[in-house]
Parts: sequence; structure tokens; C-alpha cells
Amino acid sequence: MNFQKKHCVAMLLAGGQGSRLMVLTQNTAKPAVPFGGKYRIIDFPLSNCVNSGIDTVGILTQYQPLELNEYIGNGQPWGLNKSHGGVQVLPPYARSEKSEWYKGTANAIYQNIAFIERYDPENVLILSGDHIYRMDYAEMLAFHEEKQADCTIAVRKVPMEEASRFGIMNTRDDGSVYEFEEKPKQPKSNNASMGIYIFRWSILKKFLIEDEADPDSSNDFGKNVIPAILNAGHKMYAYDFNGYWKDVGTIGSLWEANMELLGDEPAFDIYGDKTHKIYARNYACPSSYIDADSSIRNSFIAEGCGIYGKVDHCIISTNCIVRKDAVVEDSVIMPNTIIESGAIVRHAIIGENCSICRGAVIGGTFADGEKKEISVVGKDTVIEENRSIAPGEIV
Amino acid sequence: MNLMGVIFANIYDSSLGQLTNKRTIASLPFGARYRNIDFCLSNMSNSAISHVGVITKYNYQSLMNHIGSGQEWDMELGEGGLEFLTPFAQGHSGSYRGKLDALNAAIDFLSLAKEEYIVMADGGVLCAMDYRKVLDDHIASGADVTVVVKDGICNGSKQVDLGILLGEDGRIEDMAVDFAADDRYYASMGVFVMKRELLIERTKDAVSHSLYRLERDMIMRGFFTGNMKIHAYKYDSVALFNESPKEYYRNNLALLDWDVRNELFHSEQTIYTRVRNEVPVYFGDSAEIDNCIVGDGCILKGNAVHSVLFRGVQVEKGAQVSDCVIMQDAVIEEGAEVKCCILDKDVRVRKGTKLCGTPDHPVIVERGEII
Repeated sequence: MNFQKKHCVAMLLAGGQGSRLMVLTQNTAKPAVPFGGKYRIIDFPLSNCVNSGIDTVGILTQYQPLELNEYIGNGQPWGLNKSHGGVQVLPPYARSEKSEWYKGTANAIYQNIAFIERYDPENVLILSGDHIYRMDYAEMLAFHEEKQADCTIAVRKVPMEEASRFGIMNTRDDGSVYEFEEKPKQPKSNNASMGIYIFRWSILKKFLIEDEADPDSSNDFGKNVIPAILNAGHKMYAYDFNGYWKDVGTIGSLWEANMELLGDEPAFDIYGDKTHKIYARNYACPSSYIDADSSIRNSFIAEGCGIYGKVDHCIISTNCIVRKDAVVEDSVIMPNTIIESGAIVRHAIIGENCSICRGAVIGGTFADGEKKEISVVGKDTVIEENRSIAPGEIV
Repeated sequence: MNLMGVIFANIYDSSLGQLTNKRTIASLPFGARYRNIDFCLSNMSNSAISHVGVITKYNYQSLMNHIGSGQEWDMELGEGGLEFLTPFAQGHSGSYRGKLDALNAAIDFLSLAKEEYIVMADGGVLCAMDYRKVLDDHIASGADVTVVVKDGICNGSKQVDLGILLGEDGRIEDMAVDFAADDRYYASMGVFVMKRELLIERTKDAVSHSLYRLERDMIMRGFFTGNMKIHAYKYDSVALFNESPKEYYRNNLALLDWDVRNELFHSEQTIYTRVRNEVPVYFGDSAEIDNCIVGDGCILKGNAVHSVLFRGVQVEKGAQVSDCVIMQDAVIEEGAEVKCCILDKDVRVRKGTKLCGTPDHPVIVERGEII
């Protein structure tokens, strides 16, 4: 088939197991984990693509892909149901000579060279499926082209004392990278890589093929491909990003990122930019009912909910019910969950389709400055009457 | 499916005044996130009907925008799927005076269809009805036409299109059109089921005699002359007639009653609507919201009681809202008070303003007004 050339194709790495999210990713790929009441994590990079004018996105899946595939569908909610381009879910597949799982991030792209070649793109944008942020990739792409770079890596400043936890890009004054250090013990700078890369496709393709041929490589962008490109003397630039960005790979950071949507001046203002909406697959459910006996403070309530109890500092997702005399505080309640009368939920993440029965007590309260231990209830769980789930306990 | 559908999108527009100045009755927003037509369109979809004609007379841009490609209702725009039947679509000149005129203008649409039966519905009557049950009952009755009727609507003051008096055996004893029938009468819900070929034949016949009203000139005339066997199907679930501003106001607030919501939204039938990609509702620290329906994207920092707040409504700190129906993206500024009002889309009530109607005469503020 004869395809028109695309300027930039995005490849979204969504294959990670997300084991640090524990029970929340037991049957769900991390990018499909619910977020912010009506979204799933993958909505953020996908919406960013659409809002940046990128209309061709390959989503690389491998772990528990069923739910994610169903969610993405034909890409219509994001306007990615195109006849040329659009969104394609790309699981590993059997080939005539050898077939294998995606061995690493770079290998996942390597296995889909044929997909990218169909669009003959100038550049390829590599994204992660587990970050919450709003970014205009078109600006990054303009920077990449202005610098005539072979590779541009988005970076953000992190506190110097935390820099040793990240991949650090050491740059010259003009933003060009002279050194990349993965989790350095003695960091020279605090430009942390955000896992967002733009490559000139001709260069990336060459290095992916070379990387694949190296039996000692772990086929990872951060560990192998990017150092190799840098060592070969190609032009690599760091692109500064100052907006909100959060890796939601752990229970603590997932809870925090949800809470950062709240407040009159939220850290991540999801309402703010009407021209840069976050799109999600919407399900048909009626508007929420807020009862006269309810009390709701500083919270998000998604559609289809019935709120009869007390909700303070919470994200309540689509189709949840909080019954009379139930108390839910500082918590994230994922879709289709019921909190029965007299149940108390504090500092918790409750998965989808759960029932928290009468009198059950989940989580606890913490003094200011004390480390918050988040309790987690996995998907499809019933917490029986009067049962207690301790702070930090995961069931 | 051997059943196709026709929806009349604007039949009573004049009785809704300002609310339908710039839209059809079918595209009137309802229930915090819906529009009137979502109900009969969803009913069609839930009854496995895929071939639907939407008959519109004027002001149909907002309706077409709303329905788009029809995919939210699992329908497909195009021949044999969802079709818009606008006044000039088929070369007929002029607008319609009544439903038979409209059907006559769409006679090609009806003739080219393959389905044996047709169900007609009104955009302004809201319910969650399975038309297949009506069809089964129609076929079992052996009648030429089945009219779906509802009790408790006729009250001696509301003028109904078609009022029907039923005997104890369920047979029709009397009919009246455009009449404030007393409470012994059942009101027609504007839902009619019949054979498609028969509808074509009777439409052509009526129009050739310069008759153009479906209820008066086909149903009632057929009943009194005896040339049509008419059967009444009693509908016993919730039906909301949005035919006057007062009814529209009351019906919105009726959704605060769990039984009404339950029958409309939690039956086996799902009501679909167009997606707007809004964020969830945000309740601020100072929000005090009691007994309200809230659409997504609202930002609530003030007080609201016994009200329906559509998508994207903002109630600022210290604002007081009670007994109101507030449509999309309206803003109630700090310290303003609104009671018994219908605020249309994009209305802004300025700081400190007080607006007060009564439950029988709600204040209606037109789209985009700043008060």
C-alpha cells in the first residue's frame, strides 16, 4: 500500500507490568490503571499526541493487554480513528524465523520497524505510558528541528539531592548533551530525563539494528541505545520542560498525583487549559446525584455517582456510590465501587468494582509531616462487614 | 430487525418560547447532561432499530451537531442507517404544517425502506421504552395502528395532542385532539407503531385531501370513520412530557426523585448522549451542595440546593442556588442568588445579583445573557 509520508510518528511504550503498583496491576496493564476520576493513565500521553498534532501512534503492549486493547479500541475518543495513521495497538507477534516477547524498550521498537517504515517518518517520538503530564510535543519537535538534532530528550530539573535516582543529562550551555549518566552516585547536574525522546528515524533505525545484534545489550533506551548514539558523536540535545510531570509507578506517587488534582489552585490543573483537553473513553452513565445528607469538600466526583455520605479530599470515579454515614477521606476510589453505610476509608486507593461493606475501616490518619501509609484494595474485592484494613496494608 | 423508526424533532416548538428560539425541542438540554432526543434515539438503539429518520423543520443545526455521526447511539449516519430528513432534502418545497406533510415529504425515504413495521416517536416526550414490546403487542392486537398512551398526564388543564378514553376492557371509547382532556383520558405519548406500507398509503391519501395532521387526520379520523383499527398500549413507567417551560422545569427537578431517575436511567435500557470530554465535578472547600444533579465539568464552590446543574456550570463562593435548572457553562458569580430559575447555556449572573421566580413561574434567562 502506498502511504503518505508522516512528519512524526509516536510510539508509546505501554508494555510494563507495573509490579510496584501491586494489586492494582494484577490483571491490568499499568497504562490502563484508572486516574483522576474518569481517566486512565494512558489518556495523558495519548491526548498530548492529539493536541500536538501527531495523528499516528503505535501502542506497544504485552502485559495483560486485554483491558488496554478494549479501552483503546479504534481510537475514536482521542480522534485517532484515521484511515491513514491513527492509533494501532502493537503486541509482540510470531514471525517466520523467530518470535519473542519484547525484551526491552528498544527491542519493542525494533520489532515494529516495519510499522514505522510504512509512514516513512522524519522523526519518531518515544513516550512512556505511565506518566501524568500535559505537554505540547510540537514545541519539542520544533526545538529538535531548530537544533538539527539527531536525538532530543525532554528533561526537567529535580532537587539535586534526588538527582541520583534519575537518568541525568549533563549539558553544555547550548543545551547539547555531552554525557548521560543513569542514576549517578555523584550527579553533576539535575537535568532528569523524563523518558520522552525524539529521534531522527534514520539514526534510530540504524542504532536499533546494531543494538539488536549485540547479544550483551539489555535492549533498553536509557541503558544502551541513548549512550550508543551519544558515544557515536551524534547531535543530542536536552529539552527543558517546566510543567507538571509525575511518574505514577508506585502506590505513593499514584495517590499523590491524584491528590495533586485537588484544591482551588491545584498542582496539576486539569481544568485549566481548555485548548489542551485530556480525552478519555466515556461510558454512558447519568449525571451524579448529590444527596441532601452528603457533605463534600475539596473533591472530584465523576459521572454516574450517588453521594449520600461524607467525602473530603478525594477522587471519586465514575459510577461509585458513597452511602449515608460512610466517611471517605484523602482517598482515591476507582470506578464502580460502593462504600456502604458506616464504612470509613482514609488514605486509601480502592480499586475498581469493590464493595466496602458496613462498618469496615480502611486506612488511618497521619499527623502533618508523618509519612502517609496508603492502604490499597485491589480490583473486584469485597471487604466484609466490620473488617479492618491497617494503614499501608494491601489486599 | 423488522422495525424502523422516525423521530419528529420539532413539533411543539412554539409552546416552549425562549427555550426553543434557537434550537429544536429535540435538542433542548435536559437532566444535566442529556438533550431531549437522546431518549427516543437511545430507545431506538436499545430496541435494535438501526434505520432511523429524524424529521426536522427548522433550527436543526444544534440537533445535527449533537447527533453527529450517530456513533454514541451505536448508529451509523447514511442510507439505511440514521438519516436526517430536512424540509428541502427531497425536493419538496416549503415547510411542513404537520406530521403527515413531513412524512409525505419523506415518502422516498419511507418507500425505499425494507422494514415491515415503523415506529414514530416525538422528541419531546422522555422515557426509557422498549419499542419491541410495543411491536409485539401491536402484532398480537391485530390493529392497524398502536398508540402508546400514559395515564396521569391529562388533568383538565394541560392541552394534549391526542387524548384517549379507554373502556374497562382496554378498548378505545373516545378520542380528542388539541384538547385539555380531563383525568379519565390517557395522553398519547406520540409513539405510534404500524405497517410501513400502510403509513405510506394513508399519508398519501390524507395529503391528497389536504389533510396534514397525523393525530387528527389519520388516527382520530380513522377511529371515527371506522376505516382504521386502533389499539392503545398502556405505558406504565415514567414518561416526562417536556411540552411547556413549566413542564420542562418540573421534569428536570423530578430527576431529584430516586424513583424517577431509577426508571429512566437504571432500567435495562441505557440512555446515551454525546460525549463532551469534560473533567469530573470539582467541589471546593466551601461548597455546600444538597439534593442536586450535577453534570461533569462543574466547578462548585458555593451553595446549591434542589437544583439541576448541567455540564460546566460554575457556582462561585458565596453564591446561592435553589430550585433552579442551570444549563451548560452558566456562571453564578460570588454572592449572587438565584431561585426558581431556568438559566439557558452560557448565562452569567453577576456578583450580588438576585433573581427569583416561583415554582409555577420560573424566571427564564435566554442563552448567553449577562445579568
